[in-house]
Amino acid sequence: MRPKFKIPPQVLRILLLAIGIVTSYSIARYFLTPTTFRQYGWYRGEALSELQAREPMFAGKKACEECHSDEMAKLLKHEHKSLSCEGCHGPGQAHSDNPDVKIDQLNYGPCVRCHEANPSRPKWLKQIVIKNHYTGSKCTECHVPHAPTEVP
Amino acid sequence: MSRNVSRRNLLAKIGAALAGVLVAPVARTAKAAVQKVFVSTGAAKGYDPTKHRWVMAIDANRCIGCGLCAEACKKENHVPEGPYFRTWVERYIITKPAPGSGAARGETLVDCPSGGMHGYPEPAVPKEEIQHSFFVPKLCNLCEHSPCVQVCPVGATFDAPDGAVLIDPKYCIGCGFCIQACPYGCRFLSPITKTAEKCTLCYHRITRGLKPACVEVCPTQARVFGDLKNPAPEDPIRQFYENNKVQALKPHLGTEPRVFYAGIDKEVR
Repeated sequence: MRPKFKIPPQVLRILLLAIGIVTSYSIARYFLTPTTFRQYGWYRGEALSELQAREPMFAGKKACEECHSDEMAKLLKHEHKSLSCEGCHGPGQAHSDNPDVKIDQLNYGPCVRCHEANPSRPKWLKQIVIKNHYTGSKCTECHVPHAPTEVP
Repeated sequence: MSRNVSRRNLLAKIGAALAGVLVAPVARTAKAAVQKVFVSTGAAKGYDPTKHRWVMAIDANRCIGCGLCAEACKKENHVPEGPYFRTWVERYIITKPAPGSGAARGETLVDCPSGGMHGYPEPAVPKEEIQHSFFVPKLCNLCEHSPCVQVCPVGATFDAPDGAVLIDPKYCIGCGFCIQACPYGCRFLSPITKTAEKCTLCYHRITRGLKPACVEVCPTQARVFGDLKNPAPEDPIRQFYENNKVQALKPHLGTEPRVFYAGIDKEVR
């Protein structure tokens, strides 16, 4: 009679260890993989809603118009109609949520930011060399930012 | 093999079957409990990413190099101080070739001091020697075949179904592979979070129906943003495609950028 086959004990031990490792890995993976992983692809679908959850700083032109419709109407009649309010006035979400929060006061910086002459700027843009143009302190002495073609 | 089914045997079998049925919900409950501790749950969604396809386009003819976009991006996304930008504006200066040299174009000079946020110094060459000069806003090129996504070893960066290429900050291990892989230099390692960061198309804004901060503040509409799944013909992005001849950056790399540029020279990379 042939002797019954028996797995040698050293092989059995390694086999059991391997099974143990694979099983514990599978269990850990099952429990720790977020449910939304592979929802859309090889990533956590939840990441989308987490990135979405941040609060904006800039409220957008529409939010400004809700209260400042008179200024907006004026702006839209002139060349500066394409400008965003928050480009010059700074981020306004906090001010939009609570009007008591003041928005930054402007100086004449925002004007020359676009209109200072620079050979790289497109020709259609009105440009000035500030030191030849005016040496006073404020652009607004002669110009109305919301209505650039008008005189104050 | 015995065919006898004893009472004890039958009861044991029924018990095992019941246990098998019960294990599944128990495991599911246990998994939920474990995940509550180890994996945080996200905010509720009122936005379906499969219903949009966001994209940006740049009309360099209209860019005046004011740098408001770069500054707004920094403020909106709390980008760290210093040389870290999610979007920036480069100045290209192409000089005239030396007279009689037989060359078509001179040197290409590119600079971008602090992302263009605080203006540009006088050009290094006098005005008369400039053949052509212009500004080029840069941002994530939203590649169809994004190298950054391919190299991420942990599935932290991905192409979202709505077209944005995003980073899961909780999964990012800060290895920096994606930063090296991006041929457009659009990524950086945040010194604060030690994870990779990039333009998200202002994901928190576009999902609320707002425009990205850079598009919002751009005074000349050099940046155009729209939804390719929006059927309305007046969507600004459609208008842009209809009115411009466009090109992508580094097309030879096969990344198939979805951000198209109008009005740039061949020197722009």
